[in-house]
Amino acid sequence: MTSSEERPMSCNPNRCHDAAVEGTPPPSTGRVFNIQRYSLNDGEGIRTVVFFKGCPLRCPWCSNPESRSSKQQIIRREAKCRHCAVCSNDVNECPTGALELVGTDMTLDELMAEIERDEVFYRSSGGGVTLSGGEVLTQAPFALELLKRLKRLGYNTAIETTGHGNTTLLLELGQFCDEVLYDFKIMDSKVAKDVVGINLQRCLDNFRQLVDQGTHVVPRIPLIPGYTMSFENIDAILDFLSAFDLQEVHLLPFHQFGANKYEIFGMDYEFKDVPVPTDTEIEAIRRRVEARGYTVNIGG
Amino acid sequence: MSTPRIERLKAALFEAKREISLERALLYTESHKQTEGEHTLVRRALATAHILDNVEISIRPDELIAGNRTVKPRAGIMSPEMDPYWLDKELDTFETRPQDKFFISEDDKKIYREQLLPYWSKRSMKDFINAQFPEEIKEATRHKIFSVNQTDKGQGHIIIDFDRLLGNGLGTLLDELKVLSAKNSENDFYKAVVILLEASIRHIRRYEALARKMADDCDDKARAEELLKIASISAKIVTEKPEDFYEAVQLFWFMNVILQYESNASSLSLGRFDQYMLPFYRASLANGEDPALLKEYLESLWIKTNDVVLLRSTGSAKFFAGFPTGYTILLGGLTETGRSAVNELSLLCLDAYQSIRLPQPNLGVRVNELIDREFLRKTTETIRMGTGIPQIFNDEVVVPAFLNRGVSLEDARDYSVVGCVELSIPGKTYGLHDIAMFNLLKVMELVLDRNKDNAEITFEQLLEEIRQDIRHYVKLMAEGSNICDIGHRDWAPVPLLSSFISDCIENGKDITYGGARYNFSGVQGIGIANLSDSLAALKQFVFEEKRATFKEFIDVLESNFDGERGEQIRARLMNRYDKYGNDIDGVDTYGADILRFYCKEVEQYTNPRGGVFTPGSYTVSAHVPLGAVVGATPDGRLKGEQLADGGLSPMLGKDHKGPTAVLKSVSKLDNYLLSNGSLLNVKFTPSTLEGEQGLTKLGDFLRAFMKLKLQHIQFNVLNAETLRDAQKRPEDFAGLVVRVAGYSAFFVELSKEIQDDIIRRTAHEL
Ligand code: SF4
Repeated sequence: MTSSEERPMSCNPNRCHDAAVEGTPPPSTGRVFNIQRYSLNDGEGIRTVVFFKGCPLRCPWCSNPESRSSKQQIIRREAKCRHCAVCSNDVNECPTGALELVGTDMTLDELMAEIERDEVFYRSSGGGVTLSGGEVLTQAPFALELLKRLKRLGYNTAIETTGHGNTTLLLELGQFCDEVLYDFKIMDSKVAKDVVGINLQRCLDNFRQLVDQGTHVVPRIPLIPGYTMSFENIDAILDFLSAFDLQEVHLLPFHQFGANKYEIFGMDYEFKDVPVPTDTEIEAIRRRVEARGYTVNIGG
Repeated sequence: MSTPRIERLKAALFEAKREISLERALLYTESHKQTEGEHTLVRRALATAHILDNVEISIRPDELIAGNRTVKPRAGIMSPEMDPYWLDKELDTFETRPQDKFFISEDDKKIYREQLLPYWSKRSMKDFINAQFPEEIKEATRHKIFSVNQTDKGQGHIIIDFDRLLGNGLGTLLDELKVLSAKNSENDFYKAVVILLEASIRHIRRYEALARKMADDCDDKARAEELLKIASISAKIVTEKPEDFYEAVQLFWFMNVILQYESNASSLSLGRFDQYMLPFYRASLANGEDPALLKEYLESLWIKTNDVVLLRSTGSAKFFAGFPTGYTILLGGLTETGRSAVNELSLLCLDAYQSIRLPQPNLGVRVNELIDREFLRKTTETIRMGTGIPQIFNDEVVVPAFLNRGVSLEDARDYSVVGCVELSIPGKTYGLHDIAMFNLLKVMELVLDRNKDNAEITFEQLLEEIRQDIRHYVKLMAEGSNICDIGHRDWAPVPLLSSFISDCIENGKDITYGGARYNFSGVQGIGIANLSDSLAALKQFVFEEKRATFKEFIDVLESNFDGERGEQIRARLMNRYDKYGNDIDGVDTYGADILRFYCKEVEQYTNPRGGVFTPGSYTVSAHVPLGAVVGATPDGRLKGEQLADGGLSPMLGKDHKGPTAVLKSVSKLDNYLLSNGSLLNVKFTPSTLEGEQGLTKLGDFLRAFMKLKLQHIQFNVLNAETLRDAQKRPEDFAGLVVRVAGYSAFFVELSKEIQDDIIRRTAHEL
């Protein structure tokens, strides 16, 4: 794995905020690592999900490790490589496409053109566009421009976030979303800090403000063995949520689909041998959440 | 769930070895020898009548609906009058050939060779066609640039006017024809129809007598009663019109079997069963009949449609594997006045399919803006079962496509499908829907080869030559098709069938003489996906990036990508250039432009029946034999490798962006022009369709399909076996997306363990 060129607006959330406050225009491109069409699970109807690159967290169970770094990365996909006599070491010259540049800088126009392609499917299904990541807040100024444009044209919009970022920006993004899918992970602030690097207090605070301003927020709980799945943790989340008038909770059971990617990216994968939650475990949690009066959707 | 009777009937279908019965051929020949000097129409009518009077008939155990084409289930029958030679050549291999095996005894082989072959040699339709085909056409078909079909068997690909049959009854029709025939004594067509209607009536009477005799001999009282019921129904409907569902189904099936003796053709299809059967179904309900029993009749009929199989030549079986007989039915759609035609029988037909799950009848559903939610839900639920049934047709495209061919608005709204996907107006069309196939990719290959040594050649010149060649060969194809058209007129007119096609009676003409209201000749353009991919890759590799000269490039293709350099080039061609099926205008446009050009060429030609040629694009299974004759192509396809399946589907494994992108690519083709039909296969994994939400989203997907103005789609819900193939040949399944619980991934990029896990789950789901 090699890294090239530093992303121009690569930033921590605070710096981004500074930029916004100082009236700097939003960046002209966003860095995207995947655009997935015909996505059925990240909001209403048939959707296109735009995955932004860059995430301040380090969840060891993450299924999209390529989303973490905000830099463009060149990877080699072993499964595709034909082992030429001499490797070109050049993304453009690699005949199989095994060498791949992860992370494409796209302008608003370019992104809109991609999104518009499935217009007919959104219309037929009540679907739309979901911005995901990585953490979309790391590219909030660009994402905001995108959401504004989408809303002006009447698209159904959603974002997926952990809420770990600047409050003002998050609230602003929320104003242009039909739905915010909001991740809850570990409710012990020390463990949360140590394991995923999250500022729990800020996340909870951001959630509160987002709901208060009238944004439609859907809490999502990844079910991670050993981290989030204990009844204690689930109850802590539910206790926190009880202060709000919410109808629906999504449960996202841990899966191993991302395992291969760690290898491709030459990263360590702590969750290699962790078994996925059993149906019985998932059911037990579902019942626990439903007992509090929520509609539960498994897998989003 | 089906009743035990239905389960037994279903099992009985597959118990016996599939055999070839010579009975039809022998009876036909016996009669033919005695009618020298009569007009072909009359000779053929007399021969068919002779079969109807003498062929051995049976009612099998448990059957509620009588009528078997052969005593043994699923036996093939022969029509040596069309082409005795292929039958002779293949007599010894029917049992061992790879596709659609049949058993024939040594005695029967001997009879065939000693009695049938010598009589029909030099007398058959094939002899006529061979003599008429100019060398240029023979040469083109030898190179498989195009093929002319049905030079060896009956035409079929037609739907009779079932309303005429069921609404009048055979007695009334016979009276009408007798009057006409008396008034027009010189008209051989009328004379032939009278002979055949009378023979049909006698044939049904034979069933009545058989049922009575079997009832007498039967110790089981309940079964004896069933047989007596069959006898009494046969006695009634032999001349009178049916009045309830059971009677209507029985007359319907008798006539289907009778027409099989006349024509032994593929695809005497069933049209809009839920429309013409509805009055009878409602009458039965109004009489207080038990809906469960009505469903059992329907399921019995569904099983019956699997009993008639078509004996094809080895070549034809490659193109149409799995002996499809084409008992195709379309459900739902529009009424004559443009309202939704969905009714309770439309739903029941899908229900009956869900419990039987046999390949015939081949059910399809018509979708339009007015489609009823309950019916759409039943449709998606049936699709989810993963058998590829029902296939979906889009009224929003097909109706205008027919208007563009001069069909009236009311008739266009009444369209249905013959064979696999060929569009036809029931009871009014003789469309020769499957008369020829045109291999567009082969034409490209010819053009590239021809210019190999032309150092000056440009990409635009190549495109222009491809167009010129298409023009040239389409002309030859039309000429060849028209010779075959005449062959069917002079060797195999079908007066009984014609008497159920408007306006043959008014015109006093057989369909083969142009008696029908609509007279098309349908010809399929094949290879659009590979052609688009090849042109896009060629243009960039040679003409833009100049990675090789044109001559060097053609050398690489001729070597079938031999050696390290060849393989490296192939890898680039396959992976680094845009492919059709991913919603990329640059590449999609090539296919769209050339297919449109092909269509506009085709529609300029007329046939001897006064109709026009209409283009289509479907392959059924022909993408394998058509690919076998094309060398390596610039899309990285190896010599002889199959073409993209379906007709409009992207090349295997090249649709990286999922099903919405595939639909978008296909929507760029001018689907309105493909008035003879088109075919698109789309793959889904079962998990995508899980739960209530899965059904809703599939319904939404179908609505989007409709709005994109695609004509046809059929869903291939992947089973565990396919996924195992994907493990073995990842390159063919690069675009296969699997979704489990909120996450999607390319199947081939998952680790072996996870793939195995998904396979286990998939096996479980189905
Ligand atoms: S050029 Fe591409 S395919 Fe060839 S060795 Fe390098 S990475 Fe592999």
